Amino acid sequence: MIEVKSLEKIFGDKQALHDVSFQVKKGETFGFLGPSGSGKTTTIKILTGQMRQSSGTANVFGVPVSKLNTSEYRKRFGVVTDNSGLYARLTIYDNLKLYADLYGTSLQRIDEALESVNLDSEKKTQVAKLSKGMTQRVLLARALLHKPELLFLDEPTSALDPANSKHIHNGLKELNRQGTTIFLTTHDMEEADHLCSQVAFLNKGVVQLLDEPKQLKKQYREEIIGIELKDGRELELPLKASSAEEIQQYISREMVERIYTKEPTLGDIFVEVTGRELV
Amino acid sequence: MTFSVKRFMAIFQKDLKDLYRNLYISSTALMPLIFAVIYSRIGEMPLAMHLFVITLSLALVGTFLQCAIIAEEKEKNTLRGLMLSPATLTEIIAGKSAVTIVITVIVTAVSMFIMDFSLSGRGWLIAGILLSLIFFIALGTWMGLITRSVVEASVYILPVMFIFGMANMFIGLADQFSFLQVLEYTPGIQLEEIANLSEAGAGFDELWKPFAIIGAWVVVTLVLTAVTFKKRMMD
Ligand SMILES: Nc1ncnc2c1ncn2[C@@H]1O[C@H](COP(=O)(O)OP(=O)(O)OP(=O)(O)O)[C@@H](O)[C@H]1O
Ligand SMILES: [Mg+2]
Repeated sequence: MIEVKSLEKIFGDKQALHDVSFQVKKGETFGFLGPSGSGKTTTIKILTGQMRQSSGTANVFGVPVSKLNTSEYRKRFGVVTDNSGLYARLTIYDNLKLYADLYGTSLQRIDEALESVNLDSEKKTQVAKLSKGMTQRVLLARALLHKPELLFLDEPTSALDPANSKHIHNGLKELNRQGTTIFLTTHDMEEADHLCSQVAFLNKGVVQLLDEPKQLKKQYREEIIGIELKDGRELELPLKASSAEEIQQYISREMVERIYTKEPTLGDIFVEVTGRELV
Repeated sequence: MTFSVKRFMAIFQKDLKDLYRNLYISSTALMPLIFAVIYSRIGEMPLAMHLFVITLSLALVGTFLQCAIIAEEKEKNTLRGLMLSPATLTEIIAGKSAVTIVITVIVTAVSMFIMDFSLSGRGWLIAGILLSLIFFIALGTWMGLITRSVVEASVYILPVMFIFGMANMFIGLADQFSFLQVLEYTPGIQLEEIANLSEAGAGFDELWKPFAIIGAWVVVTLVLTAVTFKKRMMD
């Protein structure tokens, strides 16, 4: 679906992307993770033909992005970025109706799309009266109206409360099950962990790591067993045979509150790999 | 390039609904009518004065309204959405011009009616007005594309209004200020030329010239619009 090789983007004297390479296969939910200013939006803009790269190749649907500006290709993807806008004087429904007509999808899809972002009861509301999170949800509904083969989402849940994020995560999972490949950027590691089949860590314009979340967590798992005792003490023991006796003693004396293995979060791994917090 | 009537109509309908709720823009459409009422009270109007109000209607509604509509789409980041949709350049420009064309035609017709100016027997003038309409709309589209917001557009549009909307009035001062001679070439003056020539019974052997000048304006503004539009598709 997407093949990016040695992508570079230079703004004047500032290099936003240094060397970005990755592939997204059909059916994946690909998470592009990175702190603010790392080049996530720049990458999405290049992939959707809103910006030219300075060098390197970027192919989407097997063709260079510079050739994507035809109606046929545009019908095949959807996009939400931070510079997407809605018509403030129109209702949610009228905003979506325009796009349903432009994409040639049935009007029935409007209701379905609104349902998937939890806004089906608001469709007669004027967009000017919506909160930031609601606006973001309408934009999302607009992007998935035509059930695109490929969906680009730039921080889709950054303005949303946990309940709505969860609702949208479920909607995206369902869409993915129905065949849509999703490319999403986020700095929410839990979101990435929950949704993505592949994640890439972007730091200062370079892809520093690319793998499945599960593999990453396995690879970066600390070989440690944590024990919380009833008297409040917390112990960390190496995950080795030599610890077995000590642990057994705590258990047989009924001193243990709980035992756990230390699973790193994607956020921990990011810090370890890049030396940077994800803010 | 294919042209989808469905997508054109979708944009047209959207703009119609949107404009209906936009008081700032729709109220400027009434301005030419005020001029028409004032001038018609003066009494017998010379042909030049009729043409002044007609040109002003075309400029104030055609150019200004179009410019404001496009500038707003840019300001609110909605134009990019259209550009990323399957709609093509021609569908977007045509769709976005359709509402302006309808309103300009209505306003111009109403001001003619107020001034008691009849188009019957003035076939050449009708053709000239329609050709100029394309110019005024394309000019507005281009100006909307080069400005960043409605406010900025309202500022830049002022000198344009003076040059293209009121040339017929300022040309009277050309004897004192010779630089105003260039206004001779504005579509408004050329429209007056067409009206005068056809009134005097001239044929196409004389009339082709004002038509060619207006046609040149049309070509220039359409090319500028297309080039700028393509640029605006990218950051
Ligand atoms: N149009 C532009 N002109 C100049 N510099 C730009 C432009 N767009 C982005 N940049 C710079 O490129 C770098 C990457 O920006 P980008 O918007 O891609 O980051 P991001 O990862 O999306 O950040 P965020 O999480 O804050 O959205 C930043 O340093 C930014 O200042
Ligand atoms: Mg960004």
